[in-house]
Amino acid sequence: MFESGRKSVEGALLSAHGQGSVRRKPWRKYGVIYKSVLLENLQYAANVALGFFAYFVFIYIYIRLWGYMYRSPEELIAGYTKEQMIWYVMMTEMLYFGSNAGVVAGEVAKDIRGGNIAYLMNKPYHYTLYILARYTGEWSVRMPMYAVFAVLIGAVLVGPLPHFQWITVPVMALCAVLGITINAVFKLCISLFSFWIEDTTPFQWIYNKLILVVGILFPVEIFPKALQPLLKMTPIYTVCYGPAKLIVDFSLEKCVEILMAQAVYLAAGCALMFFIYGKGVRKLYVNGG
Amino acid sequence: MQAIEVENLSKTFRVKRKEKGIRGSIGAIWHPRIEEIQAVNGVSFAVEEGEMLAFIGPNGAGKSTTIKMLTGILYPDGGRVEVLGMEPMKKRRQLAYQIGTVFGQKEQLWTHLTPNDNFRFFGAIYDLSERETEERIEELSERFALKDFIDTPVRNLSLGQRIRCEIVASLLHKPKVLFLDEPTIGLDPVVKENVRELIRQMNREEHTTIFLTSHDVGDIEKLCQRIIIVNDGQIVLDDSVEHLKNHYLHHKSAENELQKETAPSMEGMAAAAENGDASDASLEDIIVEIYKAQGEV
Amino acid sequence: MLTVVKNQLRVCFLSIQYNIMREMVNKVTFLTNVVFMVLNDASILVQWFILFRLRDDVGGYSLREVLMLWGLVAASFGLSNILFARALSLPNLIINGKLDAYLVQPKNVLLGVLTSETRISAIGDLLYGVILVCVCRPGVGGFCLFLLFTITGALAFTAFALLLGSLSFWFVRMDILQNQMLMGMINFGTYPDGIFQGAARILLYVLLPVGMALWLPSHVMARFDGKMLMAVLGYVFLLSAAAVAVFYRGLKRYASGNLMEARL
Repeated sequence: MFESGRKSVEGALLSAHGQGSVRRKPWRKYGVIYKSVLLENLQYAANVALGFFAYFVFIYIYIRLWGYMYRSPEELIAGYTKEQMIWYVMMTEMLYFGSNAGVVAGEVAKDIRGGNIAYLMNKPYHYTLYILARYTGEWSVRMPMYAVFAVLIGAVLVGPLPHFQWITVPVMALCAVLGITINAVFKLCISLFSFWIEDTTPFQWIYNKLILVVGILFPVEIFPKALQPLLKMTPIYTVCYGPAKLIVDFSLEKCVEILMAQAVYLAAGCALMFFIYGKGVRKLYVNGG
Repeated sequence: MQAIEVENLSKTFRVKRKEKGIRGSIGAIWHPRIEEIQAVNGVSFAVEEGEMLAFIGPNGAGKSTTIKMLTGILYPDGGRVEVLGMEPMKKRRQLAYQIGTVFGQKEQLWTHLTPNDNFRFFGAIYDLSERETEERIEELSERFALKDFIDTPVRNLSLGQRIRCEIVASLLHKPKVLFLDEPTIGLDPVVKENVRELIRQMNREEHTTIFLTSHDVGDIEKLCQRIIIVNDGQIVLDDSVEHLKNHYLHHKSAENELQKETAPSMEGMAAAAENGDASDASLEDIIVEIYKAQGEV
Repeated sequence: MLTVVKNQLRVCFLSIQYNIMREMVNKVTFLTNVVFMVLNDASILVQWFILFRLRDDVGGYSLREVLMLWGLVAASFGLSNILFARALSLPNLIINGKLDAYLVQPKNVLLGVLTSETRISAIGDLLYGVILVCVCRPGVGGFCLFLLFTITGALAFTAFALLLGSLSFWFVRMDILQNQMLMGMINFGTYPDGIFQGAARILLYVLLPVGMALWLPSHVMARFDGKMLMAVLGYVFLLSAAAVAVFYRGLKRYASGNLMEARL
């Protein structure tokens, strides 16, 4: 149950765009890929809106659940008020639902297992970056819609966040974007194992579940003290806890700490991704498709 | 006895059309544009039991729609269909026991399983007992020379071997009518010939009526006595293959006479004649000319 | 009549058997799918251990009752997806005109369609459900009730999926709605009904088959009640009948050929 959503991703992209300017501006092509997917996805906005139902169900359950768990309005659990606790889940779930990772998970595995990779890897771009650009195009449509919806539910059903300052929003957004990208890089790494094994989806489930149970449903502080330093070492800290924590309870030191952790994770994740991809491609050249 | 009788058959699809782009998508929610497409328009023909008929036409001419109405997948809007004395839509299941279908482009077999396993499944579908299935598999695998690969998973078979298995699967229950939709698509010439021979043999030995659609003129020429060409949902020609060839050859000299005999095909033929030298035309050329005259190519 | 039923069942079982045989061609993939799904389901236990560390009960359920409920939902979902997984991808089949193959077979169309796919990971779900319930040691009677409710739960899942999936005969995007509603059903179903009050609770008993097919059985397993048991059976029967009726209405529309462009 609960494998991550199985939204279909529409047909492959033409690669010819921007080929002429390859040498002068090597990054431009990723911008073009991004833009094409963005335009394509705007048309599926209605589908995204249908997805709100599942998000609402999740949030509604958590509103009721925490409503039951907090015996009095002033009670603090793990240092969080009831409103903060619910907003935390709302924000992590927003990141999870809004960044539905169909491209980086299912499509990469299909490209590799189906042999499509042979055509894609000889194109004048790096395959993994191509996928990340496409993925970014996807969530750029979904995420803002989910953000609006989340704030709406929050305002109506939960009430405003205490101590929230609008001035911190740009930093939060940056932190969220980094979190989504790091998550995508790790999921992409798992998908790249398709070079060696038939079916990587079971590993995606476990990764998703880890993020869900340890990062999305509860803030790190709720776990036993002994476990907390360990949890802060995992990608969860940068992928969902970090951004959501900043939104719920902003502080400057926390912000700097999380951004630094994210920079380290992004660099390490990308290095790992390029390494696995390189190995996989070499294996392909040696053994054939 | 007639295996298939079709009288004045019609089918219209009502299809929602959507304008391109975002605005089109939104507009379609409020004002869906509905277009009517006459897929089949007043088609009449009959097929004798044991006959082999080619039913051809350009893409989108209404061939598949007609086959679907003959097999009970679609119901007609107008006209009458009887296959083996039954109305397909009303007696779909009873009819299914007596007809077979092979779609060259759609696989009905489980590709990860062996032909043998597959045949057992189809045996069960058609209520054959284990023994009957066994015997029939034995008989057909002998005839279609499947023995060497009957225990190899279907996905490891060549296309030719696969299509032979597809045909055997649709023959297990001894159908009286066999619908073949592009059975030789993608096969090499030798295998094509082999498959055709098997179909011919089937027709001879079990007296199976064959209803064939194909873009391959070889199939038509080597298998069928009769040819029906449809276009835009209407029959433009219904003639014996032999007759068609002969008439075409003597076309120029007998142009006027011809016009009286097979009226619907005439426009096509006349136009065809102007386009080239007819005297050494093959069946393929003739068909191409008829299609062209219909403004489809 | 009897032979007709026998022949039909023979075909259904062969179909499911072949689905599983197909997946077993690659043993490693098969096993990772099953084992990882058990782990995947089990990871949610973390959530419940945390919640029960904060309070002794959640919505009036003890930890054992929550585990029993989870076991029931997982097993029902698993069974449904072993036998009738195609109910979930029905919209896809309808939209692409792929029902033709079942219409030319002299067997029941609905059963042919439903049994034409098996989700291997569902074996993991079923296994997890059974293990979880065994850990709770419900006794022989309790275990029999669990098996009964697993069957009714699987029927309810299938019927609900079939009902929503069949709407694809009329409307677009039903695949998304179907997916959303089923996820909603599972999500609500895996939390104690005690945390929902008022109108929401009534809706969950009426609108989604959560209350009648999952929560009520969990109450019966906790404290036996004959009337409730009958209510569950009656509800599942009616839901299934409605789903079948809608499917066949839709099939008529399918046979008119008016629902899609791709089929010309």
